[in-house]
Amino acid sequence: MSKELIRLRNVCMAFDDELVLDNINLYFNDKEFLTLLGPSGCGKSTTLRIIGGFTTPTSGDVIFDGVRINDIPPYQRQVNTVFQKYALFPHLNVYENVAFGLRMQRLPDPNDPTGKKKVKIPEEEIHQRVMEMLEVVSLKGFEHRKPEALSGGQQQRVAIARALVNRPKVLLLDEPLAALDLKLRKDMQIELKRIQQQVGITFIYVTHDQEEALTMSDTIVVMDKGSIQQIGTPEDIYNEPKNAFVADFIGESNIIDGIMVRDNEVQMYGKKFPCLDGGFAPNEPVDVVIRPEDIDIVPVSQGQLIGTVTSVTFKGMQYDIIVDFKGFKWLIQTTDHCPEGERIGIKIDPDGIHVMKKSKYSGMFGDYSSFSEEYDEMGDATLASDEEDSADEE
Amino acid sequence: MKKNSTLNRLLVVLVFLFLYTPILLLIVFSFNAGDSSIVWKGFSLDWYGKLFNNRLIMQSVYTTLLVSFLATAIATLAGTFAAIGFYAMRRRTRNLLNTVNNIPMMNADIVTGVAMCLLFVAFFNYWNDFAAWFNTMQRFVELPMLYMGFGTLLIAHITFNIPYVILSVSPKLRQMDKNLVDAAMDLGCTWMQAFWKVILPEIKPGIVSGALTAFTMSIDDFIISYFTAGTSSSTLAMTIYGMTKKRVSPEVNAISTLLFLTVLMLLVIVNVREAKAEERKARSASLPVYGADYQPPKKSVVLAKKAATGVLVCLVIGGMLVIRHSAKAERVVNVCSWGEYIDESLIEQFEAQTGITVNYQTVSDNETLYSQLKTGGADFDVVVPSDYMVARLIAEDMLAEIDYSNVPNFDLIDQRFKNLSYDPENKYTVPYTWGTVGIIYNTTMVDEPITSWSAMFDPKYAGEVVMIRNSRDALAAGLLYLGYDVNTTDTAQIQEAYQLLADAKAQGVYQGFYMDEIFQKMEGGNAAITMYYAGDYLSMLENNPDLAFVVPEEGSNWFVDAMCILKDARNKTEAEEWINFIASTDCNLANMDYIWYASPNAEALEQYPDYYLETYEEELDPGIYEIMAAPEETLERCTLYRNLPAEILKLYNDLWTKLGI
Repeated sequence: MSKELIRLRNVCMAFDDELVLDNINLYFNDKEFLTLLGPSGCGKSTTLRIIGGFTTPTSGDVIFDGVRINDIPPYQRQVNTVFQKYALFPHLNVYENVAFGLRMQRLPDPNDPTGKKKVKIPEEEIHQRVMEMLEVVSLKGFEHRKPEALSGGQQQRVAIARALVNRPKVLLLDEPLAALDLKLRKDMQIELKRIQQQVGITFIYVTHDQEEALTMSDTIVVMDKGSIQQIGTPEDIYNEPKNAFVADFIGESNIIDGIMVRDNEVQMYGKKFPCLDGGFAPNEPVDVVIRPEDIDIVPVSQGQLIGTVTSVTFKGMQYDIIVDFKGFKWLIQTTDHCPEGERIGIKIDPDGIHVMKKSKYSGMFGDYSSFSEEYDEMGDATLASDEEDSADEE
Repeated sequence: MKKNSTLNRLLVVLVFLFLYTPILLLIVFSFNAGDSSIVWKGFSLDWYGKLFNNRLIMQSVYTTLLVSFLATAIATLAGTFAAIGFYAMRRRTRNLLNTVNNIPMMNADIVTGVAMCLLFVAFFNYWNDFAAWFNTMQRFVELPMLYMGFGTLLIAHITFNIPYVILSVSPKLRQMDKNLVDAAMDLGCTWMQAFWKVILPEIKPGIVSGALTAFTMSIDDFIISYFTAGTSSSTLAMTIYGMTKKRVSPEVNAISTLLFLTVLMLLVIVNVREAKAEERKARSASLPVYGADYQPPKKSVVLAKKAATGVLVCLVIGGMLVIRHSAKAERVVNVCSWGEYIDESLIEQFEAQTGITVNYQTVSDNETLYSQLKTGGADFDVVVPSDYMVARLIAEDMLAEIDYSNVPNFDLIDQRFKNLSYDPENKYTVPYTWGTVGIIYNTTMVDEPITSWSAMFDPKYAGEVVMIRNSRDALAAGLLYLGYDVNTTDTAQIQEAYQLLADAKAQGVYQGFYMDEIFQKMEGGNAAITMYYAGDYLSMLENNPDLAFVVPEEGSNWFVDAMCILKDARNKTEAEEWINFIASTDCNLANMDYIWYASPNAEALEQYPDYYLETYEEELDPGIYEIMAAPEETLERCTLYRNLPAEILKLYNDLWTKLGI
């Protein structure tokens, strides 16, 4: 896309002998919206803090514009951060919060030929830039307010304005939307993307919400347990997950044990299915990913597989139905209503089948035996709070 | 609940009455024209006026304020940084440290006080030994000797203040968003800048309330100060305590009223601050959205604020420097006496005449003085113990011989008061005051004039007699009544005197055993008979004209308080100058008029009636003068206490304990 701006080379991070980041190699391009995505404790926030300069990696290099910056303190980096829960300065009003970074800046004195003398940014310029930035985040007229008198969404915008007003080369965002309600979160996703395009700088965004990642990102980095699982565009990540973890974490997936009989043919449940994948050894055991929306329900007689509906949930646009195929439960999303207990046939097009190599995650995901909506949501909630707790400890 | 509301209200009123009556009474009597704490003699501001002219009080107010300000400033600084340090630690370490921090606050003050006192004494002992050795070994550097004083007082106050600051700053730090510092650093602050611009404003309320708490604690502290101030400085609370030992002068009411109001004001300030913060918060939420361009605060306003702060800081520092300069007088003399025992204008006169700064301290009684001298750390030059204590100090080689060629006014001392039993060759002492002990009684409460010690043991006066709360004096009354010598070492005689007391006590003769309260009891007409000092009788008489004084026919005790110089005095020359000054006739007249105790100066004794006539434009009642300065024939009936041998002192103690008061 464009030139490389930041590179992490062999970065490892350990807290108390516990490896939090395991040999991370990653680069960030200029003007790109990149998301670090993963569950709590995967190391994404730590990665962000290393780029921001709040944490020094145990080993490895952080390179910014070709220069190693491991030991450069945060206040000398051309990077600004939007923190979880915003971290606005409570004793300053909106204007002063946004102006804070500019007031701290010292520029070389244009009248001093040696360039050693530093001067403050003139007050008029500060005023102009602050007002400009408040305009960008649609907060004109709120200059007097203290942060406590703002709504969550408004505080969020102040935090973004406060970071962007310094014209950083990179903006780091640490789960910035986690504290907002669903509706606001959706609006802010679009808003953030718009702002990024307007100011034209690199955004590095950390989240555990896969939908947020898919909506906004140019590139997604999926992380788990301190390692990068996959890097790619949202489409790549969704359509061509590298392993069961990615497949499961991004969207819903049925992951079935299979055998790659030969190129373009995979065997599941003893039956052969045509597919578009190749490059495996003959009869290599593989994981097969089938997205719930890629499955067609057909009469039993025409089905490639035949199973029994065990539960049906109405979701508005579609039904989520759980179908038992020989003890392994699949999630299927369909617009057709199938009553519980009915036997149905299914059909999968070759491009609906995605074959992955076996990995350490094989067998851990993709079975919907214990599926229930509450369970899923509860899982998300604990994810979010776990993240905070682990941050607390540091 | 409603049916109980009357009862509830009554209860609330009672609770408040219970809480505030003593304070109200104190405030009311601080405006009393008379000098009693019981008898109202009309409104006046005299006591406040006297207060501001009372050198001792003003000096201690000054000491208190200085130590409180300094201790608050240093403790606030140290406590704030300690809290930040705690905050940066791991949770388990932090919790442990917080617990450790809380212990000193829970700990009994007396334990803290004694512990610090012991530490200082021990350290200074070793240091002074070392310094003395070091100074004799070489002549290039002279190490100073260290004594307890303002420095140790300050250290103690800082020590007990720090935990309060930590306690009030810590929660503010915990409430603070942890990312604030990161955010500030992200926006271009170094750690130090982040501290000033972000952490400090955030925890400021905690720091302010911590500082206010520390300040209040410092002003309020008595016990820890008492043990660590040494002898050369005295806080207000210590001075008030010293003053109440003899009798509660309404000056104490006045200063206590002011102290109460000061603390009240501090409390109001704290509360108003909190209320305002709430209000600001509420207002901020309802601010309108401005359409017009926002302008940051004018530079001139910010500058003015900064300038004002700067000026304030300069004033404080400047003030401290001036104070320090004035406190560093070249020549000083450290005097220790009893409370309310000098006309304080004399101190100023002396300072003006000689340029010597007088460090005037008080202690409550001979025994306290003795223990202070014994435990070390005291750096008095001149003390004014009573006869028997002088004997004891001489016996223990604690006094320096006086060079009488430097004290020419010693010649003015009446021959009757020279070469007395406690200092037979008069090498160590110059008498300060003298007086008799006798029976004080209320003429309206007894049938006939009292002339004998028997009145103190007579069941006829059951419940009307107040016995002095002092084993030596109480047993002396018994010994005198039985016709024995007050200095007897015959244990049988002492036992007999004890039995007399015990029987009278069993028969309900005594309303109680008191010292200071005797003033209130007698002035208020709550007791008929007691025994006390002649000089104090005269003070009581001003508030209750029905009181009479008698030196019983069996004889009595008389006493001399004498000025002595301590063996390890550092300012012996100045001490002799002071003693000579006080021994002058003018000083003796002024003192006699002020404290109502008789002077040993022959000229002063003779001139006092004329002095009185000149000052008050009325004749001095010769009867009163006779009580104040007992005539030769009365004095002949009286005996000075001698220092008793240790086993007899122990017997006194044991019997006193056995009497069970």
